[in-house]
Amino acid sequence: MFSILANSLKTGIRTEPVPFERPVPFGFPVIDFARCTMCDQCARSCPTGAIRSAAPAPGRRTLALSYAACIQCRECVSACPEHAVSAGTQGEVAAYTREQLQQSALFDVDPANGACTLRHVDVQPGPGLEDSAARLRARIHGRLGRSLHVRQVDAGSCNGCELEIAATSNPVYDLERFGIHMVASPRHADVLLVTGPVTRNMEIALRRTYEATPEPRMVVAVGACGCSGGIFGEGTYAAIGGVDRIVPVDVYVPGCPPTPSAILNGLLVAMGKRMASAQAAATRSGD
Amino acid sequence: MSAVARTAAERLGLRDGVVREVRSGELVIDAAAGDLPELADAAVAQLGARLLSIFASDDRVAHGGFTVHHVWWLPELRTLLRVSAAIDPAEPSFPSIASKHPSANWFEREAMDLFGLSPLGHPNPGRVALHDDWPEGVFALRKDFADDTAVARAAGDFHPFRPVSGEGVFQVPVGPVHAGVIEPGHFRFGVAGEPVLYLQMRLFYVHKGIEKRFERLPWRHGLFLAESISGDTAVGHALAFAHAIERLAAIDVPARARSLRVILLELERIYNHVADIGALATDVAFSLPASRAQALREGLVRLQQRLFGTRLLRGTVAIGGVKTDLSDAGRRDLQTHLETLEREFDELVTTLIDAGTFTDRVDATGVLAHQVARDLGIVGIAARASHVDGDLRRDLPHDAYDGLQFEVPVEDGGDVRARLMVRAREVEQSFRIVRQVLEALPTTALCASLPVDLPAGSSALGWVEAWRGPVVHYVATDERGRIARVKVNDPSFLNWPGLIQAVPGNIVPDFPVINKSFNLSYSGNDR
Repeated sequence: MFSILANSLKTGIRTEPVPFERPVPFGFPVIDFARCTMCDQCARSCPTGAIRSAAPAPGRRTLALSYAACIQCRECVSACPEHAVSAGTQGEVAAYTREQLQQSALFDVDPANGACTLRHVDVQPGPGLEDSAARLRARIHGRLGRSLHVRQVDAGSCNGCELEIAATSNPVYDLERFGIHMVASPRHADVLLVTGPVTRNMEIALRRTYEATPEPRMVVAVGACGCSGGIFGEGTYAAIGGVDRIVPVDVYVPGCPPTPSAILNGLLVAMGKRMASAQAAATRSGD
Repeated sequence: MSAVARTAAERLGLRDGVVREVRSGELVIDAAAGDLPELADAAVAQLGARLLSIFASDDRVAHGGFTVHHVWWLPELRTLLRVSAAIDPAEPSFPSIASKHPSANWFEREAMDLFGLSPLGHPNPGRVALHDDWPEGVFALRKDFADDTAVARAAGDFHPFRPVSGEGVFQVPVGPVHAGVIEPGHFRFGVAGEPVLYLQMRLFYVHKGIEKRFERLPWRHGLFLAESISGDTAVGHALAFAHAIERLAAIDVPARARSLRVILLELERIYNHVADIGALATDVAFSLPASRAQALREGLVRLQQRLFGTRLLRGTVAIGGVKTDLSDAGRRDLQTHLETLEREFDELVTTLIDAGTFTDRVDATGVLAHQVARDLGIVGIAARASHVDGDLRRDLPHDAYDGLQFEVPVEDGGDVRARLMVRAREVEQSFRIVRQVLEALPTTALCASLPVDLPAGSSALGWVEAWRGPVVHYVATDERGRIARVKVNDPSFLNWPGLIQAVPGNIVPDFPVINKSFNLSYSGNDR
């Protein structure tokens, strides 16, 4: 007993005061569209279709990148012959809509030689992050106070996200100090933290869990699968896809898996305590 | 004909030439379906075979029929054995071996659910992979079933659970959405007051169609899918898939990559074992060692991120090698960290087993008897805790394990404590393994060059002893070298029936700690 107490005192406090804004080695990719020649190598290398190219009209081509589906495998970084794709270093990406995790570039195609020239880059189509934040605040304003009760629902995850969600409770991140509590029942919960490419066999359980959560309720979708179906895809016989195909989602936390600080950040965004940031910052040698 | 193939043929009473050694560690017998039971009996009786997998493949286009495959591990001959039998599509059935070899039970029912092949003579031929609202006669892994088919839910009764009756006897349903941050599954306890009479379970809530998806992705992208079979075994599954591809395409992995793969696999073992030991403390409300273990685990995954780029070691294994090198500075960082960790881990385990309040909860709790473990074909940690020896790192070495000195800890108790002690002793061995590798890290390339296409119409097995137990992948290509079939075997699939046997007789409040002591993967099981 005394040795346990002594041990506890000796160890001291392991909790980090601010667990955010540490650069991660392999974050989300950042495309320098000005250097892009539309060779499609990145799109072909992407295992989840997070990067897609299209030809919407004659003489026009687009390249779109969505962090919702990105599993941070960095295949695109090594595939790009122009070194226009680099691995970002920002860990805590979150957004209020799937679209806010997207950016796309429009190119003019020269009919003579097929060369592509960048016309413009469209970052985060749809409502801006501030607007979305204000709307979410208006919906839940004053109802949740300064604490948040969270029920986690694994709707088909590989358990990678569960490992990192569990890590938010460890002494280093200690999510309870932010007023966030993991609760045992949806009936006690303000927010559902949902992972996985919602499987056919979890769809009904997810709907029922959502219905059992009292209003005003929020949903935070976690991971590439929860945001988009990820590597498992959408609309297969077994995986329906992103959580928003089943229940409305208020905050998206992409990543495969997102780090504990990214998950914590997503919950604080849902509480209105932190601002969502949907773009990864690039650090590239020579910039 | 190789010596090992000849020995196997002799012991099985087969003609010369029937057993082929297709590559090192991989024997193949092409059998008639009717001979499967006899071959299984002979393999077990004469060669001490242990079942690793039974699965089907739809080869109607290539060969005009289905195929049923048995994969055995022959510890004595230090090889795997695949027995494959063609099945006539006009009579979609195969003889079951489940009544004599219970480890075949779920495998055969899964082949029935996903391919529509009936296991004849199976003692309990009900659904295992399919839920009740999946319609009759639709088979997802058949080639004429497109992976994006929308399958309407069938109406009908809920899964029938075994009834209970009697005064004070009732059922406790739990899940699929649990109280903690864990994966979904449904448990149904039949209880008489506190003691559990029996446990029934319903899994496959997280069936994502992974095996089907492999057939759709380019083979190089299959690696990312393999990393997501069970997130806590990203290295184990990625390596098993990479091994299968490398064996299939005769790709030689450079020596440095083989050594680094050992480090990756051992780090995965250490971080999971440390976390599990902490979780056992959590489940008996012993909070100091629980939070200590969580901090140790966090320190380790941060080291992994520093050294290899990702916390859970995703994106580290490449087909043909590894993606990230370990610099000299990284090597020192790892050495220093492991020295500290070794001391702190030792303190953690001592704190636990010196506390009577803890050992009271784990001693003689959740006993899986030796004979039951053998009969059910339990593998990995759970087997070794019930004195069923076996570890592919030693018995069928992959990567750089052949030249390394280590022991395979085995315990007798079969209880929660034995499973804890197997983990604790394995972590010590992992430290020993990593130290040996770091002392003699070869200087070679990190990755072999890869072919554009895989050989057509070929197949191979890949295996590793991951932290939970053996992970075995089977990969087959079609006539154009595309992936035709991937069979994924996570040790959880063999071990869930062990949990069913370990729980009865214990009280309901002990279920979490028993379950955690097995810590099986739902995702790896359901795929």
